[in-house]
Amino acid sequence: MPAIKKADTNIKYSGGATVVSGLKSHANDPFVVKKNEEAKIAVSKLALPSTEKK
Amino acid sequence: MNLLHYNYLTTDYQGYEFYSEGRKESIKKLVTFAMIQEEPVIYNLAFGDADPETGLMNDSVTSNNEDRDIVLATVANTVSAFCDHHGDHFIYAKGSTPVRTRLYQMGINGIIDEISVDFNVYGVIGDTAYVFEKNVNYEAFLVKRK
Repeated sequence: MPAIKKADTNIKYSGGATVVSGLKSHANDPFVVKKNEEAKIAVSKLALPSTEKK
Repeated sequence: MNLLHYNYLTTDYQGYEFYSEGRKESIKKLVTFAMIQEEPVIYNLAFGDADPETGLMNDSVTSNNEDRDIVLATVANTVSAFCDHHGDHFIYAKGSTPVRTRLYQMGINGIIDEISVDFNVYGVIGDTAYVFEKNVNYEAFLVKRK
């Protein structure tokens, strides 16, 4: 009997987010808070490029 | 974007998670966006692994799961999903070390043609954002949907 390989449905070429309820927020994880604080300081000094909408 | 990516989950379109299923193991990856400036609006993108014991995000581990391009394409897709729901704002990203920022840059190099269709991509050196070019080393990255 030929082997049947199960399709890997975790890998996609297209498709958006799968919305699930109750995903844990990591907004207050120490690493995230530290990164956000560092980024806040960095962008406050940053010369932003001008952008135009399509 | 038509890049090979992992299925990714969200509750609020501000935090995302997905599983890297490369050569070695299945690794839970986390992406969050946080507003760090109001005028003009800039969000910071934080990305890392979920610590297997605490569940908290960190990016101090180099997982070497040999799927970097798929992982970064998945992060790029979360940026697109985020913009769909929170608006087309500047998004800032920087690795926690120069080596990790360099890894991000190598990943962006590989998908720049695809992502630049929809996004303006900039590399940051010092206090200035330049239009992203391959073979230039940047300290951080900034994207904004066109």
